[in-house]
Parts: sequence; C-alpha cells; structure tokens
Amino acid sequence: MILQHRFFSTLFGFAAMLAAPNGFAQTSSSTAGIEIALTNDKVEIDTSFSGAQLTLFGAVNGMENPAEKIDIISVVRGPETNFEIRQLTRNNLIWTPGDAHKIENAPALYLTNATKPITDIAPLPDQAKYRLGANHLGVRAPGSSEENANTAHDLDYEKAFLKENETKGLYRDAVDGVAFKKGSLFAIQVNLPANTPVGDYDVFVYLYQDGALLSRDTATLLVNKVGIERRIYELAHERPVSYGITCVALSLFAGWIAALAFRK
Amino acid sequence: MQLYLPIAEIPVDPFVVIFMGGAVGFLSGMFGVGGGFLMTPLLIFYGIPPAVAVGTEASQIVASSVSGVLVHLRRKTVDFLMGGFLVLGGGFGAVAGIMIFRYFRAIGQIETFISVAYVIFLGSIGALMMVESLRALLRSPTAPRPRRKHRSAEWMAAMPFAMKFRRSGLYISPIPPIILGFLVGMLAAIMGVGGGFIMVPAMLYILNMPTNVVVGTSLFQIIFVTAIATVLHASANQTVDIVLALLLLTGGVIGAQIGARAGRHLKGEQLRALLALIVLGVCARLLFDLTTPPLSPFIVESVS
Repeated sequence: MILQHRFFSTLFGFAAMLAAPNGFAQTSSSTAGIEIALTNDKVEIDTSFSGAQLTLFGAVNGMENPAEKIDIISVVRGPETNFEIRQLTRNNLIWTPGDAHKIENAPALYLTNATKPITDIAPLPDQAKYRLGANHLGVRAPGSSEENANTAHDLDYEKAFLKENETKGLYRDAVDGVAFKKGSLFAIQVNLPANTPVGDYDVFVYLYQDGALLSRDTATLLVNKVGIERRIYELAHERPVSYGITCVALSLFAGWIAALAFRK
Repeated sequence: MQLYLPIAEIPVDPFVVIFMGGAVGFLSGMFGVGGGFLMTPLLIFYGIPPAVAVGTEASQIVASSVSGVLVHLRRKTVDFLMGGFLVLGGGFGAVAGIMIFRYFRAIGQIETFISVAYVIFLGSIGALMMVESLRALLRSPTAPRPRRKHRSAEWMAAMPFAMKFRRSGLYISPIPPIILGFLVGMLAAIMGVGGGFIMVPAMLYILNMPTNVVVGTSLFQIIFVTAIATVLHASANQTVDIVLALLLLTGGVIGAQIGARAGRHLKGEQLRALLALIVLGVCARLLFDLTTPPLSPFIVESVS
C-alpha cells in the first residue's frame, strides 16, 4: 500500500498532545484523559495491497508514569454491512447451503488491541455498552428481537458468524500492539488484513484504571481503492456495460496479438 | 509477489496465475480443446470466487478463440452461414444461462450449482472419451477403422426453412443449429466454458458436418457467444475481472504454442486417453469437495 506519510499532521498531533498536559494541572487520576491521532487517516488499496499496518499515536494526560497504572483498549471497526449466513447441510450425497439468515449492520472488520485481555480490563457492563471484544458486538440473527429472547438456533448462527469472521482474520481481539513511549505517549500498531473491506471506519481508544473507565477518544479512518485498482472497480460497478464491452475488446485485441506473435 | 485483483477483491500471486494459464494453455494446445472446462475449476480450487471464475473465464476464451479462428479463416475452413445460426441460438442461450446463473446466485446456491454442473459434464464427457480412446487403443492397428457413413440428414432437411450450407455441403433446416447453439450458449454462460467439447461432437454426429470445417466454425461461434456472455456477466453480475483474465491469457497463449508442438509427438488415441484422465481427475476433485464434510459448516456473505 502507499502510505502517505503525513509528517506535518503527525508532528502537529504530537505537539498538541505534549502541550495538552500543561492544561491539566491536576495530578489526580480522576481527571486523567486520553487523546489519539492516526498517522494516516486514509488507507489506500492499490494493486500491491496485501494488508497494512496502522499506527495510532496517543497521549495520556494528567497522570504520571501512566504505563504502570493504566490499561488501554483500542477498537477499529467498520464499515457497517448487512450479511447473510447459511449453514451447509448434507443433502443426499452433497453438502448444500441452507436458508439465509440475515445479520444486519455488523462491522465488516473489527480489530481490538489491548494491554491485557479485555475481560481483565473492563467490567462486563462496559464491555456490552462500548461493544468491547467480538463477543459483545451485539451481532443479532433474525427472529431475535428485544422482547423475544434469542432462541438457541439464532445463537448458533451468531456464534458461527463471529467464528467465520475470526477465521478470515476480519474479527480479532489482540493482546499486543500497545507500546508506551516516552512519558505519557503511547503507540498502538493495528494490523489491517489483506481482505480489509473498503469503507468508513471508526477508531476508539479507551483508558482504564482498576476497572474504571477514565477517558476515551475517537478518530475516523477511510479505506479506499486508488489508482488503476479504483478505476477498474468503479467502471465495472458504475458503467458495467461499457466495462463488459471493454473487456471483450481487450480480449479480442490480445488474441489477435497472440496470433500475430506466433504466426509462422 | 502479490497482486490485488480489483473485482475478485483478493490478493493473488501473479506468477502462479500466469503459470496456471500456461498449464491449461499447454493442454488446450496439445489436445486442441478450449480449456475453459479445466480453467474454471482450477480458478475455483485456487480460491477465486466461483462466480468471478466463470465470468472471467468467458472473457479469456474470447481471446484464445480469436487466435485459433484466424488460422481457420486463412484456410477457409469456417462455415459462416452455419456459424451465424449457431451464434443466433447461442446469443439467446447465453441470456437464458445468465438468468439461471442470477437466480442461483440470488438464492445463494451458485457455488453448489456450478460444481454440480461441472461434475455432471466432466464426468460424462470424461467417461465417454475414456471408453472411446481405450477401445481405439485396444483395437488391432491392422484392422480397418469403422468408417463413418455420411448419412443424409433427412429429418433435418424436412424441417421448415431448409437451405443450402455451401461450405459444409449440407441441405438442412437452420432450426437444429439454432437449438444446438442455444444449448451450448446456455452452458457457456453458466459454466464459463466455450462449449467446444459439446459443439464439435454435435456438429459431427448430429448435423453431419464435414470434419474440416467443424473446428473453425465452432471457434467462430465460441467467440461471439463468449463475448456476449462476458458483457452479460459484467453488466448483470459484475463478475468479470479483467486483470485476472489478462494474466491467464498471457500464460495461456504461450502454453498453447508449446502444447501444440508437444502434441505432435503423441498419437490421437493416447492424447484422448490422457485428456480423459485429466478431465476425470478434475471431476473427482470437485466431487470430493462436494461430498466431504466442509471445514466450516457455515458460509458468510455480505449483501448490498
């Protein structure tokens, strides 16, 4: 991928973070805050894209030696997508997919990084409230509404949905990637997989101390196709007939060239 | 090295794809077949979504058939009138095929449908070829070959609009070629094949066309039908990956040239037995994948 190194914005982000603690004279942990910035708020998918590393920079304000006291959770989630899940069942001789179960508005990608397992950092109500960890995403298979509790059957589909996405590397809870730098600064390395979907993403960072949420901050991220990659994709989806005719013309031309090249 | 495919939306190793194109091109040059019926399953085995494999393969067949038909044009071994009627039927067949394809895609069964279609066709064609070539190999070389009788196709001449097909030396109604074209066009659209493996025997044994015009006319028809199928797949399903197609045909044209040279050193019956083995092997692999319990019993797809 092409990483547009935005030195200036990064430097500016750092300067802002370093300046921030001066505004908070208190040393009490109750006023501790967290701020983050992305080195790149755009990830570009071009022909050589095979995954990318996203760096979140952040600072903990109003606290001395934060590394020893606090825990950090980062969440990268997006774009909201509707899914269908089908179960393969044996149908006479062959395995065929059964009826589709809709799973609506689930993130296509959900990656967390934390200083230790999320269950050891955040209390259960927080995990549900802030949707921390793939198990608390609130993924719902249909037939399950608020008044009508999930049937065992729906739970199976929800579990299978999470498991499938974990297998594909799209849902991941990692206990690494968070590194404290000098003083109150920290950096989080998030590995975006090669199959990262295109779209809008939200980035959340949560600061915890002894199971209590002290502060949080958010940022946005855009994953986009660029270059020839983007032009082909857009042509194919926005003007599909022209694209089809172009493909045929290219194929005719290539076949003709091949015949010329090998003519004896 | 990795190359991200714009339509399939997965990274692939371009050299592996070119090599796959080359390997299938080698076989198609060696055996004088289109190779679509091997390429599409191979792409699926490699991890390309089946719908993209079918759509993309249609465009690759356009290219390889053009190279082939130019030789036949020079030799004047293309029956344009016959080809025209085959294309007429084939165009409608491709439209029907795309509609079937879309239906199975909408209900989420397209992967199973493509695999089952391949198992049926590869299984029956492979078995027929195997039996026929084994019989030929076992026959004593001195015994006279059974001669094919040039039966006048009276039932086809008796149908309406009968006309003279000068280059084929036939007087038949255009209805049988239109129906044949329709059936093969449907297969082409559903399976991502040219359909030569059905078309050529049907031309020989049903239409009674002379051997020398069969291949050229079949290629002529395949170009038009796969071109129509490509445009339809691109516009109805957005499943034609031009980058993948170009990689495949780069390997394909080179492989075909080497294959054609290698093929001259083997006897026809041996070639056919070898091809039958390959066809049956691919069929067995597809059947195995269909019948063994899947690694994951769930399929997740995003819907727009």
